This record gives sequence, structure tokens and C-alpha cells, in this order.
Amino acid sequence: MANIIEVKNFTKQFGEFKAVDNISFEVEEGSIFAFLGPNGAGKSTTINTLCTIIDKTDGTLTINGNEVSKEKGKVRRDIGIVFQDSTLDNKLTVEENLKFHCEFYNVPKEDIQNRISFVLNLVDLEAWRKAPINSLSGGMKRRVEIARGLVHYPKVLFLDEPTTGLDPQTRANIWEYIYKLQKERNITIFLTTHYMDEAEICDKVAIMDHGKIVAFDTPNNLKKEHTGLVTKIGVSKVYDFVEYLKMNHIKYSQEETMFTLYSNNLKKIIDVTSNFKDIITDLETTKGTLNDVFLAITGKEIRA
Amino acid sequence: MRGMTAILKRNLINFARNKTQLIFSIVMPLFMLFVFSFVMKPTTADISQPINYLISGIIIMSVFQSSLSNSTNILEDISMGFMKEIIVSPIERWKISIGQVLSSTIIAVTQGLLIIIIALFMGLKLDAPQFIQMIAVMGLVGITFSSMGLFLATVAKKSTTFQVMITAFTLPLTFLSGAYIPTTIMPKILRPLVYINPLTYTTSIFRYIALKMNDLSTAELIKEGVSFDIHGFIVGPFTGILIIIIMGLIFFSLCVYKFNKADFSDVKVFNPER
Repeated sequence: MANIIEVKNFTKQFGEFKAVDNISFEVEEGSIFAFLGPNGAGKSTTINTLCTIIDKTDGTLTINGNEVSKEKGKVRRDIGIVFQDSTLDNKLTVEENLKFHCEFYNVPKEDIQNRISFVLNLVDLEAWRKAPINSLSGGMKRRVEIARGLVHYPKVLFLDEPTTGLDPQTRANIWEYIYKLQKERNITIFLTTHYMDEAEICDKVAIMDHGKIVAFDTPNNLKKEHTGLVTKIGVSKVYDFVEYLKMNHIKYSQEETMFTLYSNNLKKIIDVTSNFKDIITDLETTKGTLNDVFLAITGKEIRA
Repeated sequence: MRGMTAILKRNLINFARNKTQLIFSIVMPLFMLFVFSFVMKPTTADISQPINYLISGIIIMSVFQSSLSNSTNILEDISMGFMKEIIVSPIERWKISIGQVLSSTIIAVTQGLLIIIIALFMGLKLDAPQFIQMIAVMGLVGITFSSMGLFLATVAKKSTTFQVMITAFTLPLTFLSGAYIPTTIMPKILRPLVYINPLTYTTSIFRYIALKMNDLSTAELIKEGVSFDIHGFIVGPFTGILIIIIMGLIFFSLCVYKFNKADFSDVKVFNPER
């Protein structure tokens, strides 16, 4: 598939400080792409540059074949943006916010009503069409923003931390909308998030730190490469078990009767479980999460 | 074009929904009207129609003040985040500034009209041509000072700073314009300030129309405070129109220029990581 976003040797400097340092990446059309990184890693700077809010210092950035800093008008027409903080007009109603957005983006007059219905149905807000933004909850406002970002049918939807500060239920719902959307309209979705479980469902993930991209792959490949097999075992007799682990050189950590074993050797793990099958009370094996990948790469706990 | 009218429409809707603001923007000039008509009575003995003289001054002043301060809404938009929605949309920046200036002008002129209606009950007499001319002058004043307001807003960037700037401009300009206190009774030492104040001339042309002074002689116009004898150089009321237009052009291009270049990214909501 063709690349809808292409970034080559992009650098952004604020005075002496390099917020983004010579990064390159591509995003395929119709995919979900996640940008991860600790606060201050340069994610928002990259998004803001792609969204034509700030200008690059160096490099080339194209969206749908248009150079971002040269053809701002064309780029702006092709993208929809949901920012971290609300950018709705609180004094207007849901419908008015969407309607003015259509006017700003030159949506054909006769299409406006249909499109508003379509996007409001997508985020389950048709019933709130006439409600003033003031009267909505935080999650509903975010849904209005997503609907608004879509109503001009963009090719790429940028979501800058779309679910930060929302409760788990609302987060799950919003992901459902994003998924539905990507399927129904084949929109490319470019998002940043602090929640690793959200990044798991993306097609490609880029991890950024100190202005550089430190990892770029599918979530599964990243996990394969940066984390191993993690086995949690609960036992009723601790002493013999510890002796055995030490003898066989298996790395472990212990919390009372719960052990976590770090070994990629599947055979060794199976031996452990068969040797101690009578005293094992609990068993769980996992592949390591993106969170582990993230920590392995950046060495920092991510802040929500 | 559509984007521009959408911005215009949206500003007007927001203004119309804010009933408290609307009421207070009319209460203030009315208050001025009452206070000054009582306080100034003895000092306006030289002037033939003292109440009408004050009313016309107050109408044009409220248009001036309203258009100058209407740009607060753009600063509110910045802090509310809505400005971001506008600047990432495909509308060109200069169209955004035009939409902003026009909506501010319409609001200011509407306020002026409301005061004219109230003033009609207080004894202001107008015929149709006078009314049309007054609207035209109000429109010009509105465009000029809305541009100035938008320019100041992009300089101030914060609504608190903007309020201080507006007060600092409004007070001296209005009191030295002859709108409330006739220039004819001002001490000689203040005269130069009166003469360099653009509002002096906007007030005088507006008054000239409102009080139908077209058949007065130059000497009489000077006595009424709508023409000025600056060391033998006579500035008639129509010079006022020229001054507003020139100022309007200057400020309009300034504010479009400034708005085009304004980097709103250091304002809270843009939050670039540093």
C-alpha cells in the first residue's frame, strides 16, 4: 500500500534545544499508527509540525504527496485533528460546532446535514445534536471532537492523546469508534497515547525518546525483540523450589509464595512445572507487554 | 468567502447569546448620558443644543469603545482552544481577520443604533438622510477601531493585558475628544492633545451630522466645537472622515499583517513540548 505520510530527516529546534532530532518514518494509507514516548520526547512537536501549526527547522514532511510547510491549504484539507485539550466552542451547540467546521472546510452545503448525522451516529451522539457543549460530560465532548475531526472526511485523522483523562469505559468506547471508522472509511489514524494497551491494537508503533525514534515496528515484533517469556508460578513449599531455580540458573523474583521467572527457554520452564507439579498452586505465562517494551527501551516509567 | 462569513456569523451568535454583556454595554453609555447631561449643563451654555450635543458624542464614543474592546473574544477563543480549530482549518489568516473586524463592527454599530433609539425618546431629532450618514460614520469608526482592537489583541495575547491596554487607550482618548466635555471649555494647555487625538475629529463629524450643522458658518462651527482653529489652520468636520479612513487603512493592514504573523503557539493551549 502507498504511504500517506512521509517524513524524512525532520528536525525541529527551539533556540539551541533540539526537540526533534533528524527523524524519518512512513505511515501506510489506511493503517493505525501510534506514536509513543515519555513527556517531552518530541511527539507533540512532530504532530504540531505535521498539522501545520509550527514550522519545521529542517527535513521534508509530506501528507498525501503535499509538502506540509509549502502547501498548508491542501494539507489542512486532508487532515482532521483531535487535540489534547478541548478546542470546541463551549457557547455553541453540538450541531453548530459541526456546522461551522463544515463551513470552514468548504463542505458542500447540501451534504452538511447528512454528514453531521453520519458522524454523530458514529459516536452515538445523535440525541445530543441540539445540546450546548457546556452541558456535556468530558467523554462526550471528546466524542464531539472526534466527530468534528471527521465531518470533512479527512484522509488522515490525528489524535493527540484522545483518551487521556477519561474513564476506562469511555476509553473503550472511543476505541470502538476509532476502529469502526478506520474500517468504514479507510482513514489513516495517527495517534499519540500514554496507554500502552491502546497501542497494542495499532498496526505500527514508533517509540520516541529525546527527539529520536528509538524503535519502529509492529507491536508483536517489538514485543518479540525486546521482551521474553515471563512465567508466574505460585508454590506451596518455597524452600525446595528456590534451591531448584538457583541450581538451574533461572532468573527469578519472589514475592512470598509467588515467583516470576525470566527465561526464554521454554523447555526449562516445562521442566520446572513437571518437577514441582504437586506443590504448584498457580501458573501464568505471558509474552511481556508493550509497557515492558517501552520500559526496556526508554528506561523510564511512562506518566499518564 | 464561506469561511469568513462563518467566522462572522459565529461571532455574532456568541455575542447575541451573551445577554448580560449586551445589556451592560448599553447601560454604561446611558449612565454617561444622564450623569454628563446634569453635570455639564452649566458649562455648555455656549452650545445651542446641549443635550443633543452630548447624546451624539456619547453614541459615537460607545461605538468606539465597543469596537475597540470586541476583540476580547479572540483572546477568549485562544484560551478556550477554539482558535486552534480555526487556525488549522484551510481558511487563510487574512480572511479570519476580516471576519473578526466585520463582526466587531456590526456589534458596535448595533449598540450605537440601540442608543440612538433610546436617545430619540430623550429628544434627539433625526431625518432619514441624517440617519443614513450617521450609520455610515459609525461603520467607518467601527472598522477603524475594530482593526486597532484586533491589532492590540494580537500584541497583548492575554485578556488581562488587553483589558489594561484598552483602558489606557480609552480614557484619555475619550475625555480629550470633546465627546463628554466640550473642547471649547478645555484649558489651553490640553488643546494640542485634543488636536492630535483622532477621536476629536470622529466626534466632530458625527456631531456635525447629528445636529444638522450644514448651514452654519465656519466661525459658528468653531464656537460649537466641531471645527478647529489650530493657529489659523481651520480643520473642518469633513477632515474627520478623511482621518478615520486613513487611520482605518493603516490599522487594518497592520492587524492583518500582525495576525498573519502572530505565533499563537506560545499561548497556553498550543503547548509545544520544550
